Amino acid sequence: MDTLEAAFGLILHWDVVTTIAIAAIFGLFVGAIPGLTATMAIALLVPTTFFMDPVPAIGAMITCSAMAIFAGDIPGTMLRIPGTPASAAYADEAFRMTQKGEAEIALGANLLFSAVGGLFGTAILMLMAPWLAEVALKFSSFEYFWMALLGLTCATFIGTGAPIKGLISLFIGLLVATVGLNNPAGVPRFTFGDINLLGGIDFISAMIGLFAVSEVLRVAASGARSLPVPQASVGNLFKGWGRLFVRYWPQQLRGNILGTAIGVLPGSGADIAAWVSYAVSRKFSRTPEKFGTGHLEGIVESTSANNAALGGAWVPALVFGIPGDSITAIVIGVLYVKGVNPGPTLFLTNPQTIYAIFLIFIIANLIMVPFGWGAIKLAKQILRVPPKILMPVILSFCMVGAFATNNATFDVSVMLVFGVLGFIMEENDIPIAPCILGIVLGPMLEQNFVTSMIKSDGSFLAFFERPIAAGLGLFTLFVWGASFVSSYLAQRRAADDPSPA
Amino acid sequence: MRFNDAVLGGALLVFSIVIGLWSQSFPAIPGQEYGAAVFPATVATGMGLCSLVLIVSGLRQKGVALAFAGWAQDWRGFVRILVVIASVVFYIAAAKPLGFIPTMTLVLLANLKQLGVGWLQSIVIAIAISLLIQWSFGDLLHVPLPWGILSAYRF
Repeated sequence: MDTLEAAFGLILHWDVVTTIAIAAIFGLFVGAIPGLTATMAIALLVPTTFFMDPVPAIGAMITCSAMAIFAGDIPGTMLRIPGTPASAAYADEAFRMTQKGEAEIALGANLLFSAVGGLFGTAILMLMAPWLAEVALKFSSFEYFWMALLGLTCATFIGTGAPIKGLISLFIGLLVATVGLNNPAGVPRFTFGDINLLGGIDFISAMIGLFAVSEVLRVAASGARSLPVPQASVGNLFKGWGRLFVRYWPQQLRGNILGTAIGVLPGSGADIAAWVSYAVSRKFSRTPEKFGTGHLEGIVESTSANNAALGGAWVPALVFGIPGDSITAIVIGVLYVKGVNPGPTLFLTNPQTIYAIFLIFIIANLIMVPFGWGAIKLAKQILRVPPKILMPVILSFCMVGAFATNNATFDVSVMLVFGVLGFIMEENDIPIAPCILGIVLGPMLEQNFVTSMIKSDGSFLAFFERPIAAGLGLFTLFVWGASFVSSYLAQRRAADDPSPA
Repeated sequence: MRFNDAVLGGALLVFSIVIGLWSQSFPAIPGQEYGAAVFPATVATGMGLCSLVLIVSGLRQKGVALAFAGWAQDWRGFVRILVVIASVVFYIAAAKPLGFIPTMTLVLLANLKQLGVGWLQSIVIAIAISLLIQWSFGDLLHVPLPWGILSAYRF
């Protein structure tokens, strides 16, 4: 109880509350604008958190990501353009509801089930994280090696079209992580003799480049055309919430459970949760023929899932220091900067911070209802901000943000290089998320790999000798095998069937 | 601007060979078999294998080495990308001597103008955003943004 009181004490400060409110508005704005993702919102937010205490910094990131994932539904429903990739799965369906004049039902359901899904994910996080932390205390380098590899594997293979391109992205990230002195032998690697590179490539500048500058380049390339103006009028959003809740409780529960589970799995997050849940909803529906015609069922399930995944993704992040998705990848980086090193010992040494994180999750999902209502009402104004003005402004914030990471112009160069890299990668269908996880998890993977190899005297069999390590190892190998087999089968099918799908 | 998989694979193959060879030059820890070279060499090997797969699939697809679709069909798209990159390079070079506010105003002006925003609107936005960042990041968050030629007027 004392811990909980201490946690409340950490949160109930005017600066924490103000920070959360500002982060909520920022998250809603960025999430609602197509092309600007939740990850990008976090990457742009990070430089402002350097000067905060750990709790408001973490609170800002939690609130911002929850709001951005919900707000992605708004342009998806109004314009059929998802605001973030996590809303892409059901943007088409939701837009058809708008065409039928049911925009307010769709948006109301998005708001309700996003908030409920977020709370469900939080509940699982609160129950699971402390329990898993006790298990994790017994982990050795072998288990951590497999956990890190599992996270990278899921990020690479699940939800990416071509496993080979996902792998290439991952290897680029891992190589970026090797730059500098930070390795078991303390030898400078790939530094070109430049002292700026001795400390390694700052991952926040890299992240701003990969997620934000690449998008600025993409919009600049196509000439920053304005979005169409939404025509839908939105009435009372809260109408029929009780009825929706009663009618769709099986779908929302299934979406919550599946979303949280996908979030907990290291390396897979909200985007994948939404796609999988939409497909599951259709499969188990009594009226699958209605899907694609403006049917609420699938929307309920997947909009629950993507917000539930956010809470789930924090489980491996807090317990093992392994990101559940690209948002928690950034969060882990910030936690280290703040001296709140994620891992099982955090639960022993700093339980009030953990409880404060849980409380902020609950607050974020509760204030989503009034703030989200405001965002939907203001949606037409938000969507009217022309990209030709927004993009240069975002570029300027990227540059200042990169500079602020170490107060050095060198980091602006890092940002630019990674912006161009991210742009070229996306142009060639190489996904960015595996690269990010590679940069974040690279040092952990290497350290545990080398330590394990030294311990086992070079025998790879030792990686399977401890029971949990063996289980994690086999599961990781299974995901590798399954993805290559399924991609091979898909290729065969495409070769047998020359007509384009 | 899509490269054929074979071209992409070829470039990555060369890159991974360079990284693999380079990592062999890292000094070993005496009496220790697994040192600084193990990990980058393993990653480079993996990347090399992937690039071979890409080369094979790219050669099977045939097609051109570099396809220009969407924005890349218009040369102005490339110019706009170059202006964005050039403006960041200009910032890196000029921020210190010139100061944050003038440099960022010019960067914003170049980018707003090239996307078709009118002169008056561009100038107002460029100056307003530069001042806003100087105040929020420089003043509130204590980021030491350089003042340069405006040192006498710092706030």
